[in-house]
Amino acid sequence: MLCDICKKNEATIHIKEIHDGKVKSTNLCASCAAEKEKNGGLDALGFNLGEMLLNLGSLAAGKTEAAAIEPDSGKTVPVPAAVLPPCPVCGWTVEKIGQSGGRLGCPACYKAFTPLINEVLTRVQRGLVHIGKRPRNAAGGDVAVLTFEVGEAKRELQEHISREEYELAAVCRDRIRQLQARLDESRQGGGENGQH
Amino acid sequence: MDSIDKLMRSPVSFLADAGPDEDIAISSRIRLARNLAGRPFPDAASDEVLHEICDKVGAAASESGALGCPGCFSFVPELMGELDREILFERRLASRDFLNRKCGTRLLVRSDESSSIMVNEEDHLRMQTLKPGFQLKAVWEAINQLDDELSNRLEYAFDEKLGYLTSCPTNVGTGMRASVMLHLPGLVLSGLIGATIQGVNKLNLAVRGISGEGSDNRGNLFQISNQSTLGQSEMQIIDRLESVIVQIIEHEKLSRRKLLERDKYGFFDWVGRSYGILRYSYKLTGEEALNALSGLRTGVDLHMFTKVNVRMVNELFRSIAPAHLQKQAGRELSPVERDITRATLCREKLAGR
Repeated sequence: MLCDICKKNEATIHIKEIHDGKVKSTNLCASCAAEKEKNGGLDALGFNLGEMLLNLGSLAAGKTEAAAIEPDSGKTVPVPAAVLPPCPVCGWTVEKIGQSGGRLGCPACYKAFTPLINEVLTRVQRGLVHIGKRPRNAAGGDVAVLTFEVGEAKRELQEHISREEYELAAVCRDRIRQLQARLDESRQGGGENGQH
Repeated sequence: MDSIDKLMRSPVSFLADAGPDEDIAISSRIRLARNLAGRPFPDAASDEVLHEICDKVGAAASESGALGCPGCFSFVPELMGELDREILFERRLASRDFLNRKCGTRLLVRSDESSSIMVNEEDHLRMQTLKPGFQLKAVWEAINQLDDELSNRLEYAFDEKLGYLTSCPTNVGTGMRASVMLHLPGLVLSGLIGATIQGVNKLNLAVRGISGEGSDNRGNLFQISNQSTLGQSEMQIIDRLESVIVQIIEHEKLSRRKLLERDKYGFFDWVGRSYGILRYSYKLTGEEALNALSGLRTGVDLHMFTKVNVRMVNELFRSIAPAHLQKQAGRELSPVERDITRATLCREKLAGR
């Protein structure tokens, strides 16, 4: 399906809204969706986000129905047309989040309001899964950190090779070997996770 | 709590040191948003929790020696006078949102101001690192190390899938905002800046003026930064931002060359008049001074002056800001008094006094 705006790129973002029984569907490619977001003024993103959450909140409250994209499968799934209960940890509600300009109450809000968060992330982010740095004391500890670092170094190695920077590539290759050795060691070491 | 005067007396790394591409790139900055696990975000936290977080972050910094602590500066903005708080804003160490908070805030600053942490802004920790010129990778190395030092002692709110959890979902994932401040008089004078900004926006990067507002082009200064924080690694975000900035710098150089080819005297005239305004005025508004400083900086890049250098211009950019002027004068100044003081400062600086 092509994007409704540029009619050139494949639409990857599908928004369906049902108002008074009428279905309105919008299909956008990532760049047009970003552009659309921008026309609302990205400087005021926090504000828009708050409003958007409020709207989504009313959707969730059953006044209208909406469909969100499931991040794992990419399928469109209906947002449950029921009132989302407040966050069990901090007690914040969808309405409260809307009023605070799209800010959440606590880390647990991400779980409590998953359908809304996914909808927001689909609109404002370039992906739905974190592939960057991990804290040293997160679950998985050194193994996870080192796995990430090896991945990054391998990517860097490919870049040096493609730019024919062979000396830098050699340095990078040595670093990968060292990281890999440390990773193997950590894996054998088992539960050690660098926590203090 | 340390005094603002002490902070203002110590040398500032990003103003004093040379950086790559410093003729066009003023500074490179990265900030990371982090939160402590199992604690409400600042907007939802009680005063008690906010103070507990200040203490925890302060202790983690001292124990790890991050920011050169305990030799770092520590400020409690809610206990400071308005003028002193404004100094922190003008020095880009604190945001307005942070300074407007009534309770439980703390600001930790490395003595050369190259790195700092706002505790309890929108997130529990907002750390930043700043270096002169265009060098995002070096900035990343520095802030990555700072983050590691702290994360050995603090348990961050982190989710396997979503990464670092932040108060606002627009920052979730890496929690990283990388930006470069660029001086783009060539693109502005040749009327290409609008198209450039549009192009950059299409790449999902943000362009803001010196004050952080999109519409502000005072001093021909523009800050380019990433928007999205999830779905790409820190290095991918930085690589992408860097490749765009390399192109903007090229286009700026090309525009300046073309302006010189097409209307050399027009271009020189702008620089000369800018110098004249700064050297001989008796009343200067902030906007007038910023625009004239842009001309002066361009003249320095073109080697038109023997006694003015980039560092002097950078220093002036900072010292003409309202709070800095008033701090220097030792009292509150009316807007007219500020314009007079600003002009005096510029005249004396350019006269070599």
